[in-house]
Amino acid sequence: MTASMRKRIGRRGLVARNWRTLAGAVLVGAVVLGALVGPALLPHDPLKTDFLATLAAPDGRFWLGTDELGRDLLARVATGARVSLLVGSLSVGLALLLGTTIGLLAGYGGPIGDTLLMRAMDVLFAFPSILLALAITAVLGPSLGNVIVAIAVVYTPVFARLARAQVLVVRELAYVEAARAMGFRHGQILFGTILPNVAGPLIVQGSLLFASAIITETYLSFLGLGVQPPQPSWGSMLRDAIGFMEIAPWMAWYPGIAIFVAVLGFNLLGDGLLDRFDPRRA
Amino acid sequence: MLKLIVGRIAALIPILLGISLVAFFLVRLVPGDPVIAIAGVEADAATIAALRAKYGLDLPLPAQFAIWFGQVIQGDLGRSIQTGRPVAAMLGTAFGPTLLLAGAALIVSLLIAIPAGIASATRPNTGIDFGVSLGALAGLSLPSFWIGILLILTFSIRLPILPSSGFVAPSVDVAKALLHLVLPAITLGTALAAATMRMTRATVIEVLRQDYIRTARAKGLSRAVVVWKHALANASMPIVTLIGIQMGQMLSGVVVTETIFSWPGIGKLTVDAIFARDYPLVQGAVLCMAVLFVTINLVTDLLYSVLDPRVRLGQ
Repeated sequence: MTASMRKRIGRRGLVARNWRTLAGAVLVGAVVLGALVGPALLPHDPLKTDFLATLAAPDGRFWLGTDELGRDLLARVATGARVSLLVGSLSVGLALLLGTTIGLLAGYGGPIGDTLLMRAMDVLFAFPSILLALAITAVLGPSLGNVIVAIAVVYTPVFARLARAQVLVVRELAYVEAARAMGFRHGQILFGTILPNVAGPLIVQGSLLFASAIITETYLSFLGLGVQPPQPSWGSMLRDAIGFMEIAPWMAWYPGIAIFVAVLGFNLLGDGLLDRFDPRRA
Repeated sequence: MLKLIVGRIAALIPILLGISLVAFFLVRLVPGDPVIAIAGVEADAATIAALRAKYGLDLPLPAQFAIWFGQVIQGDLGRSIQTGRPVAAMLGTAFGPTLLLAGAALIVSLLIAIPAGIASATRPNTGIDFGVSLGALAGLSLPSFWIGILLILTFSIRLPILPSSGFVAPSVDVAKALLHLVLPAITLGTALAAATMRMTRATVIEVLRQDYIRTARAKGLSRAVVVWKHALANASMPIVTLIGIQMGQMLSGVVVTETIFSWPGIGKLTVDAIFARDYPLVQGAVLCMAVLFVTINLVTDLLYSVLDPRVRLGQ
């Protein structure tokens, strides 16, 4: 392969990657915008039932149709976006906080603490993710808050392992040694010196897990263990749709499309961030 | 090799102990008294005390765990509150359909992923490559239960050619069993295919850059032989590892797929047990699936060592 060919392919690859990141940003922007302003701007209340308009097909009045209780699907999809974004940000944020703290302490502390903390993380890793989330919500009871806790517990080991691995590299570097020599306390070194230098990969991982958190929430709500009625969630809307697939297939289309758009957007964005921060993929 | 296997299995012991602790305490964390859940709210104090003694719930927690763990090691996972049947037997019955579904889904995913991944890798930065990469990303973004719903809408409702739910054992009627298997296997397999496709593309691209591929080309071998024989054989390691990891992750997928298609496997059994608040069954299912997950990961790990002498020899 000649240098010019390589350069051309390299440039085309870069353009393709940037396109993906841009497409991801557009999709995520649309979902965030829909979640923020949609429920306020739309003419229908997502919870208001209209028994004269049950299972109405999409038309000029109900753009995405209505469900079995005559509720406007567009308003419910927009409100569902709020739920998904809320669960995604809070569960990933909580997991990031917990996992990073555990990883920092394991990587920086002594071998006993390291072994205990990381074996505990290994145990959590030993459960299939949906199963663990299911089991936790089953124990805590179905609710939005418990879904957030369950997803956070499932993702905590991911951040803990990553943070620990990063700390093991960084703690031997000269600037950490310098901080130690200057008499900084362990807490200062850990959170003031090490944390800012290991934060990049953790944030990239967080953006990738955001998409998985949205899917997990929809799974749990689909199974009836997440957001409870009448509050809409994309997963619970799909659950409702199953009983009416023959006469009202639109009930199954739009929540699914919304999940797909949101998850694709976050996956594209996460991939773009990974390309930017991971030198092996550049 | 034996040392490696023993070492890996020994490393599993604390994990398995941890898994049993989680499974044990999971049920103990349920709000409310499990005895009242079994006996009902109207049970009198004597009945409750008798039940408490019968289930060993009057003992301190470490003693309860020791008794429970001793029973689990002997294969006794307790009895289902709902049916009264032994949990281990119920899980055993459900294991067959889950294994059938998982195997079929794996075949579907490989049939999609390997040819598409290779097509994409051999034509980097072309329309095909872009399409396959986008398709893989789309596949990763589609929740499997929605794929299942769309498949039911299309093939069971619009064109009623495939059953939308249920299970027929292959030993009863092979043709019917296959018909019932198609939609669940595609649902689960499509979700798996996306990641395998990406891995196939990445590793084949990497291998195609190696010197021995250039040599093979220079020898005048056909493109098909170079790609399918030389490149794919050497790209198989990471793909096999990924498939192993996916087999474990598939356990998450079966929970949802089995629920949509009323497939009587371990996943559906677990979800049904959760809704029935059948805690011994939930506990048994969680324990069983976690042990299965860990075992699959161990086998993948060992398979990796068998396939790659560098791993085996610690190089």
